[in-house]
Amino acid sequence: MKLLVIEDEPSLNKSIVDYLTDRLYLCESVSRYDEAIEKIECYQYDCIVLDIMLPDGNGLKLLEQIKANNKTDGIIIISARNELDDRIKGIELGADDYLTKPFHLPELAVRIAAIIRRKSLMGSNLLAFQEIRVDVSGKSVAVNDSPLTLTRKEHDLLLYFIINKNRVLSKNAIAEHLWGDDMDMVDNHDFLYTHVKNLRRKLVQAGANDYIQSIYGIGYKFSIS
Amino acid sequence: MNKKLLHKTSRAYLLFSLLILVVSAPIFYYGIQGLYIQEADDTLLLHKKEFILYSAPTIQLQDIPAWNRFNRNTKIENGTLVTKDSLFYGRHYDTLDAEVEPYRELYVPVNIQGKPFTYKARINLVETKDLLKHIGQLFLAITCLLLVGLYIITNRLSRKLWKPFYETLEQMESFEIDKHQPPNFSPTSIEEFNRLNRSIQQLIDKNILIYKSQREFIDNAAHELQTPLAVFQAKVDLLIQRPDLSEEQFEICSSLNENILRLTRLNRNLLLLSRLDNDSYADKENISLNDHLQKSLPFFVEQGRKKNIIIETSLEENLLVLANPALTEILVSNLLLNAIRHNVEDGTINISIKKNCLIISNTGLNYPLDKNSLFNRFYKADPSSQGTGLGLSIVKKIADLNNWTISYSFSNNNLHSFTINF
Repeated sequence: MKLLVIEDEPSLNKSIVDYLTDRLYLCESVSRYDEAIEKIECYQYDCIVLDIMLPDGNGLKLLEQIKANNKTDGIIIISARNELDDRIKGIELGADDYLTKPFHLPELAVRIAAIIRRKSLMGSNLLAFQEIRVDVSGKSVAVNDSPLTLTRKEHDLLLYFIINKNRVLSKNAIAEHLWGDDMDMVDNHDFLYTHVKNLRRKLVQAGANDYIQSIYGIGYKFSIS
Repeated sequence: MNKKLLHKTSRAYLLFSLLILVVSAPIFYYGIQGLYIQEADDTLLLHKKEFILYSAPTIQLQDIPAWNRFNRNTKIENGTLVTKDSLFYGRHYDTLDAEVEPYRELYVPVNIQGKPFTYKARINLVETKDLLKHIGQLFLAITCLLLVGLYIITNRLSRKLWKPFYETLEQMESFEIDKHQPPNFSPTSIEEFNRLNRSIQQLIDKNILIYKSQREFIDNAAHELQTPLAVFQAKVDLLIQRPDLSEEQFEICSSLNENILRLTRLNRNLLLLSRLDNDSYADKENISLNDHLQKSLPFFVEQGRKKNIIIETSLEENLLVLANPALTEILVSNLLLNAIRHNVEDGTINISIKKNCLIISNTGLNYPLDKNSLFNRFYKADPSSQGTGLGLSIVKKIADLNNWTISYSFSNNNLHSFTINF
């Protein structure tokens, strides 16, 4: 999987690349409009992370350029502006998703994974981690091939964990993913604990190993310990 | 008590008129009377002159009784009563009117055929009194007419003169800086009012400009903060991936995370406020508050679970409001989350919908909040609270935008209530 990160803020650019680079993703990054044009014209990417506010040219113009080249690359816009108009315009121009700064890196990873799943010609909607299989489109989960019933939140949580496997995930990041904007106003994360606890119990009862590790003070990690 | 401008001028005019009237009436009276007496004296002296010139040389002693009989007001009497011409007031009984009447009298010493006599002439002053009375009445009538006329003219004129002033006043009273219609003053024919309007216009224009730039500043500042915040967030997200972190370091990261979250919320709320100012939420639709509450209630119940808060609802009737759905949602959730955040352990929250109003009351602090600053930006009853201090100010702004009224009350059983009238 090849990703292109177009972000003019160098430290953010580097952080995104650092987080997304693992055995699954190959990340390239540029920080200027002309560099981006060059890359887009020469290569094909599975997903492009695009900051629409670039210093030497509007990111939206870049978006038009990508679409004009008839590229099938998935595109996720990251922007400091949360204006509905910008969002709609971006989506209308062919972007697949829109993420407002600031965001959690695991959130970006989940969104990219979703875009790639949708775009991939194989149509593989199956996600696997050891003995756990998740059918993303059918919203069904199986452990060792026997189905497991999860609530919507637990399903989302499991997906989030699998996509961000082997990463330490902060409670804030998970809560924001599960509750979105409502999360903005909430102070305590105890309700998140309940959901994690339930998910862990269901997985273990269904015969899966306990992959959810609590990381003291910060959050959780989904991995083979 | 404040009086209207119009009354002040009218009153000044009327008082002056009355003063003139009171002062001038006696002067006028005595003046006329003096003139009349003067006239009477002149007449008496003229008659005397005639008598001395024409009658005295020719009159016989035996004619005197006849003279006295036929002249009611001129008598000739024996002896010298006075040494020279003397004028004085006298009172005599008038047989015709059967009353004592005032007279002006003249005594003159004369010689008739070598014998000393006194010439007595008199003029009845009753006519003077009547005349004076009539003049007085006329004077009063004219004065009254003058006063009434003056009052009406002043009123009319003032009203017309001050009309532009009142128009300006009205415009100023209805002017609100966050609404988008600056007042429009129509030109008048009066220089001073034009000046007033011009300077008010300038003042308002300047204020609108400052207000706009302040709004833009908040908007820009909030936007500019988004990228560094994103970097900050990303760095912490990366930092916690390091395998060599100790528990202590994780705790520091956790605290960093909390503060990024607070900053993010603060920033989002500031952006929301500035967008509310910019009228970015113009599209409205009919929303059932009941449906919305039913839908979002599980989320709030979950939020309240930590403090063991019981949420009671009494949704008496279906309340439909015409508003922007996103804003209405923000308004309701801000109020509810406030009710949860500022609640006590084992507290209660009461949500009720009555005719055209939504009431959210909760247990909490045992003293009322400051009504004046409650809806101000960054006001916090409890400074240690995790809130941004913008929630209620956003609620107020949304209510204002939709012409809803929001009020706060505190009852004796430590119940804080917010009521929104739609």
